[in-house]
Amino acid sequence: MTLLLPLVLPAVVATFVLVFSNGTHATRFAVTGGFIEIALLANMAWRVHRETAITLGPYFRADGLTTLFLMSLGLVFFVTLLYSVSYLRHIPKGRFSSPRWFYSLVFLFLFTMLAAYLCENLGLLWIMMEATTLASALLVGFYNTEGAIEAGWKYLVVCTVGIAFALFGTIALYLAAVRSGIPSPAALNWTTLVQAGPALGEQVPSLIKLAFLFVAVGYGTKIGFVPMHSWLPDAHAEAPSPISAMLSAALLNCAMYALLRYDAITVHAIGPAFSHTMLLIFGALSLIGASLLMMVQRDLKRLLAYSSVEHMGMVATGIGIGIPLGVYGALLHSFNHSAAKSLLFFVAGNVRENFGTLRLDKITGMARSMRWTSIFLTVGVLAIIGMPPFSLFVSEFAILNAAFVQENHAMVTVVLLAIVVGFGALVFQLQRILGGDDASLKTPVIAKTEIMAMAICAFVVLGMGVHLPMAFVGMIHRAMAVLSL
Amino acid sequence: MGLISNAASHALSSSTVLIFLTLLLLAATKRLSTCISLFIVQSAVIAAQVFAIAHLHHSAEAYIVGTVVLVLKVIAIPWVLFYLVKKLRTTRDVKASLSPAPSVFVAAALILVSFSAVQSYARELNVARDPLAAAVAIMLMGCFLMITRNKALAQILGLLILENGIFMAALVTTFGMPLVIEIGIAFDVLMGVFLMGLFTFRIRDSFADLDVSKLRRLRG
Repeated sequence: MTLLLPLVLPAVVATFVLVFSNGTHATRFAVTGGFIEIALLANMAWRVHRETAITLGPYFRADGLTTLFLMSLGLVFFVTLLYSVSYLRHIPKGRFSSPRWFYSLVFLFLFTMLAAYLCENLGLLWIMMEATTLASALLVGFYNTEGAIEAGWKYLVVCTVGIAFALFGTIALYLAAVRSGIPSPAALNWTTLVQAGPALGEQVPSLIKLAFLFVAVGYGTKIGFVPMHSWLPDAHAEAPSPISAMLSAALLNCAMYALLRYDAITVHAIGPAFSHTMLLIFGALSLIGASLLMMVQRDLKRLLAYSSVEHMGMVATGIGIGIPLGVYGALLHSFNHSAAKSLLFFVAGNVRENFGTLRLDKITGMARSMRWTSIFLTVGVLAIIGMPPFSLFVSEFAILNAAFVQENHAMVTVVLLAIVVGFGALVFQLQRILGGDDASLKTPVIAKTEIMAMAICAFVVLGMGVHLPMAFVGMIHRAMAVLSL
Repeated sequence: MGLISNAASHALSSSTVLIFLTLLLLAATKRLSTCISLFIVQSAVIAAQVFAIAHLHHSAEAYIVGTVVLVLKVIAIPWVLFYLVKKLRTTRDVKASLSPAPSVFVAAALILVSFSAVQSYARELNVARDPLAAAVAIMLMGCFLMITRNKALAQILGLLILENGIFMAALVTTFGMPLVIEIGIAFDVLMGVFLMGLFTFRIRDSFADLDVSKLRRLRG
C-alpha cells in the first residue's frame, strides 16, 4: 500500500483532471492531488527509512537510493505545480493547450518518472524511461509554435534512438545473467544482479562491458552527456518554463539514477575500472563541452540548459572518481542542482512574461524594474556557480576534494576549468541583465504563487548550504549503502 | 522428427537470407509505401522465427510474443503508417540524401561489418552466427536510414527497423525477454509511433512539408 498509492495517484489525477473543462476547477483538482501525492511520498520515505526497503510484487521496490531521488522529485514537482498555477494564464488557447491537458500531461510525466524510480526490474525500468520521453514530448511541444514542434520532434527522435541503445545494453546484461545460471524471471532483477557479484562476469566479461557501454550511451542521451546532448537545449528552451524546470531538475536525475543502478551492477561484476572510466570520460566531455558552449549562448533558457549539462557532468565525475566522498558529493549535488535549477527556470519564465523575450541582448535593467525576480535571479546564479554559502558549493567541493584525494589531477583540472568558465559565462550575463536602464518596461507582473515557489527553492539552496540537516546526510549515507560503491 | 519441427529448426538460420534481402531493398527503394511493405516483410519473417522457436521449445510465452509481433508490427503499425501516408497527402519520395546506388553499397558494407562484429561473441556465447549478424545488421541499417532519410515518416520507419533489430538480437541470444517486458516494450513502440504520427501532422501544418531537414531553426 505504501508504494502502490503514491504510484497510482498521479495516473488517477492525470485521467480525471480531463473531466474539468473549467480552468479554475482543473487547477484546484490538480493542486489537491499534488498535495496528497507529496504527503504519500513523505510517508513512503519514512517507511523506507524504518524498514530499509519495501517491495511491491516482483517488479517494484523502494530502497534508500530511491527515496533520496524521490525527495528531489517531490520537491521539484511541488514547486512546479505551485508555479504553474499562475503561469498557466500565458498558455495560448488551442485544441490541446488548455489547463486540463497541461495538468494531465504533467501528472502523467510525474507518474512515469515515479514508476521509473520504483522499478526493481531493469526491463520495466527501460519501459518507464521510454515512457518519460513519450509523456514529456507533448509538453515540450506544448506551445505549438514552429520552434516548439521542432524541439518536440527532435526530443522524441533523439531520445527514442538513444534509449533503444539502452535496451540493447539491457538485453546484453540479461544474456550475461542467464548464461551465469540465474533463472529467467529473476535475471532482470536489480537486487539479484548486484548480489550475483563476480559470478555474473565470470562467463563472458566482455558482455558486461558491452552492456554498460550501450546503457551509458543510451541513458546518457537522456542525461544529456556531451556529445549526445543535442536535444537538450532545444527542449529546455522551447518548453513552457515549469516544464523546463521539470526536465532539467527531475528528468535528468531520473536518467542518472538508472545509470547509477547499472553502474552498481557493473562494479560488482567486473570491478570499478571500466564503468568508472566511462563515467569520467562522459563527465569530462560534458563539463568542458557544456561550459564552453555556455559562453556563446544568446538565449537565457539555452544558457541554463547547457549549465544543466555541465552539472550532470559534475555528478558523473563524482561517481566516476570512485571513493565514498565522491559518491556522497555526487548524490548531494544532484539534489542541490535540482533546487537551484528549478529556481532559475522559474525566474526565466517570469523574465519571458515581462520582457516578452528570452534573448539575452534584449533583457537589461532588471534590477531597477523587477525587484523580486532580480533577487531570485541573483540567488540562483550565485548558487549555480558554486558560491558559498549556497549548497552547491558544499557538493562541488566534496567532488573536487575526492578528485584531489585520488590524485586524479586531470579530473581536478577539468572540474576547475569548467567551474571557472561557467562562472564567467553566467556572471557576465547576470551583471548585464541586472545593470543598465530600461525605460520600456511597464509595471512588472509577478504572482504570489510564483514568488512562493521561487522562495522555497531559494530557501532550500541557502539553508542546505548553511546547515546540512543530519537527517539528510543520513539519507545520503543510506543511498550509498545501497549502491555499496 | 516431423516435417514441421524440421522446418522450424532450420527457420532461424535460413530466414536470415530474407532479412538481408529486405535490408538491401530498403536501401535501394525511394518510395515510402514500398519501404513500409518491406518493413512488413521483415517483421513477418521475425514473427515466423518467434513461432519457430515457440514450436521447438514448446513455450506458451513465445507463442504469445509471436502473436503480439504479428498483430503489432505486421498489421497495426503498418496500417497506421499507410494511414499517415494517405492522410498527410505527401509526396511518395523518402527524400534520401544519399542516392540508391551508394546506399546499397553502404548497406552491403554494414552487413559485412556486422558479421565481423559478432564473430567473437557468437563463438563465446555459442549461438548461431548468421541470425546474430542479421540482428546487428538490422540495427545498423535502422540507424543508417534515420541519418540519410529526411522525410519524417521515413525516420519513424528507421526507428521501427532499429527496434526490430534489437528484438531479433534478444530472440537469437536468449530466446526473448520475459513476456511482461516484451509486451511493455511493444506497447511503448506503439505509443511512440502514435505520438510521432501526431507530430508529423503538426510539422506539416507549421512547415508545409514533411522534410525534417527544413527543421533547422534551433541550433548551437
